[in-house]
Amino acid sequence: MANIGIDLGTTHSLVAVVLGGKARCLLDDDERVLLPSAVRYSPEGVPRAVGWPALAAAGEPDGTTFTSFKRFMGRAPAEVAEEAGLFRYDLDTEDNRVVRFRVGEARVTPMELSSYVLRLLHARAEECLMGRPGGAVITVPAWFDDAQRAATRDAARLAGIEVLRLLNEPTAAALAYGLDKAQAGEKVVVYDLGGGTFDVSVLELNDGVFQVLATRGDTRLGGDDFDQALARVLLAQAGVEDADGPTFRRAVRAAEAAKKELSSQDVATMRLELAGRTVEASIDRATFEALIRPLVDRTMAAARAAVTDAGLRPDQVDEVVLVGGSTRVPAVRRAVEALFGRAPHVDLDPDQVVALGAAMQADILSGESTLAEEMLLVDVVPLSLGIEVMGGVVERLIPRTTSIPAHASETFTTHVDGQTAVDIHVVQGERELVRDNRSLGRFRLGGLPGLPAGVPRVRVDFMVDASGLLSVSATEELTGQSASIAVQPSYGLSDEEVDRMLEDAIDNAETDIDERLLIAARIEGEQILHHLRKALRDDAGLLTGDEGPRLGAIADALAAALTGTDRARIQRLGKQADEESAPFAQRRIERDLALAITGRSTSEVATALGLR
Amino acid sequence: MNPTCWNCHERVATPVCAGCGAIQPPPGRDVDAFGVLGLARRYHLAPAEVEERWRAMSRVVHPDRFAARPAVEKRMALLWTAAVNDARRVLRDPRARAWLLATGRAVPPETGGPVLDAAFLEDIFDLQAGIPDDPPAALAAATAWRDRLDAALGAQFAAWEAGAGGLDGVDAALSRLKYLDNAIAQAAAAAHSE
Repeated sequence: MANIGIDLGTTHSLVAVVLGGKARCLLDDDERVLLPSAVRYSPEGVPRAVGWPALAAAGEPDGTTFTSFKRFMGRAPAEVAEEAGLFRYDLDTEDNRVVRFRVGEARVTPMELSSYVLRLLHARAEECLMGRPGGAVITVPAWFDDAQRAATRDAARLAGIEVLRLLNEPTAAALAYGLDKAQAGEKVVVYDLGGGTFDVSVLELNDGVFQVLATRGDTRLGGDDFDQALARVLLAQAGVEDADGPTFRRAVRAAEAAKKELSSQDVATMRLELAGRTVEASIDRATFEALIRPLVDRTMAAARAAVTDAGLRPDQVDEVVLVGGSTRVPAVRRAVEALFGRAPHVDLDPDQVVALGAAMQADILSGESTLAEEMLLVDVVPLSLGIEVMGGVVERLIPRTTSIPAHASETFTTHVDGQTAVDIHVVQGERELVRDNRSLGRFRLGGLPGLPAGVPRVRVDFMVDASGLLSVSATEELTGQSASIAVQPSYGLSDEEVDRMLEDAIDNAETDIDERLLIAARIEGEQILHHLRKALRDDAGLLTGDEGPRLGAIADALAAALTGTDRARIQRLGKQADEESAPFAQRRIERDLALAITGRSTSEVATALGLR
Repeated sequence: MNPTCWNCHERVATPVCAGCGAIQPPPGRDVDAFGVLGLARRYHLAPAEVEERWRAMSRVVHPDRFAARPAVEKRMALLWTAAVNDARRVLRDPRARAWLLATGRAVPPETGGPVLDAAFLEDIFDLQAGIPDDPPAALAAATAWRDRLDAALGAQFAAWEAGAGGLDGVDAALSRLKYLDNAIAQAAAAAHSE
């Protein structure tokens, strides 16, 4: 039973494992490493697709595709209202504690959405390893607080995955590069520019001990912004002023392709299909770089600030590690190199670095690792933990950068004669006043002996485990009895609520198998329907006889079946659609072939058709 | 520490039983930071010494080492490592080290601490009152004063470590140093913002 490492990312997620002493990422059936962190729901609120098909359906009506839900993990509805609006998610405002999105009759938490992604990655691992994996190490941003970490852990539990450890992403990246063997006191900067988020962390390494000295970032800055800047250029050249959703998305896709080409070429061409015409715009690297300069500059300002926070100058940094697909952009690499005066580590695939590090830590936790006999990762508490005392002031119990696991205890007493319960408010953050920090939860110590005020002595133990997760226990010292603790998390679900969801999941295990098969059938049906409707729309001219209405009717019937739960019906109609549209599909292929051949040599045609 | 292993009843002298590999129960509350890290009780302790002991102990007791062992051992490893981390935090800090040796606790007592003489408090008051007028001068004066007290404290501990003296008055010296550390922080902040 190999343990696995999972990078649960904002835009993409990956799973990796150590095999034969080497960490590698696992591929899906189509040999892809990345799984988009995207889940598609039907208008009725039924999960329909996860990953690539969910992402492909994002622009379509009749349903909602959730992406970027990592941004909402463990946060309060009030904190994310604006962000939910940006993504056009329908936030349930009835609950002020747990973020829930409305889809039809259903209420979906970010934790559940994450659990779908985790389940698929776990299934991928099970298939690749030909057996159920052991536990998993899951990575989280270094700045994730306790509520966000707890939500991540609960998402994994909901997916039926045993969580061995939550690991900080920059720590995982440094581990993947083997920097744990670095000289004592080395300073490492991890620059992580993903699709939609940017993080930069400064670490100090001491003989396998990783300490996060500072972390900064921008949760709304990433490669997607590069694509959009480029897409706006394309749309402007096409003379499109108010692009509708689908047009804008097509332009972004063209821009993304051009961006990738510009990493290795000096010029790229963007092509945009508009009603009845095709617009082409060529862009050279210099123009692209000028376009994204303000965005790159923002990341550099954050990187400089993080280094200053760590009490360092850029030239005191010993190693720089690049993470995230967007660090493939040469202008980004150059800017990083210029700032720190040294070439960054780029040997590993920047998309995979974090997952590879997670797999290595997972291997260490297997107890049979050959990878790292003497290696030991010790992370630190990212934000101070404290409790509310008189006057709304915070008493810090575990300061930030304390090595974990960490423990602190505090003795409380009663203020009223005969008082049998004490309330304790736990907060996380660096500010003096409770209201400026993040509230983690309220603990009620109950079952105290009814004694005069000030006599009971309740010792409360706070323990932060190696994942950075807090747990609390209490004992009344006079009587030696443990006080009961009821935890009410400020944001997110309580343990009881998660347990109930888990019980429901177990009760429904059998229906779940049916449900999974149904989801698989739906995913396939959706794809067939998608291609058929697109072909009918794009190439109506190639239809003959009654083909148009006939195929249209099949498409409608399939669409109707997809809203229901009759798996056999979906599969039958999908097959029928495939078969009956075959002659039409053949004509389209022949037409494309004819277009490709016109005025070209046979070798060019062969290349164009992907035969060489 | 237990003389015999709770798991296999062999004799043990280290946190982990050499016979069966089981981690032993974490140190009780009566074991102080020196005891947890297995260091001699000394005030003169190089940070590198603490770090080295801390790393060596971490490698032995860290939960990562017991990931494949029973839950009870995982729990013990967690408590052990938390204790080791806390001991390192205390022993790295010379003030906490001194308080621990003088009073048995690594922090100044909340109540019933040493009573400081009026002359000292008056001098501290004058020093603090002078900060707004000339922060750099106040900073220099406070630092020089603190260094004198620190040197005296170091000398007293050196004698004690050599078996040639007691620790009487150390708590009062530490209380004075607390006032001076505060004054220095204030003066430094004032000098910085100028």
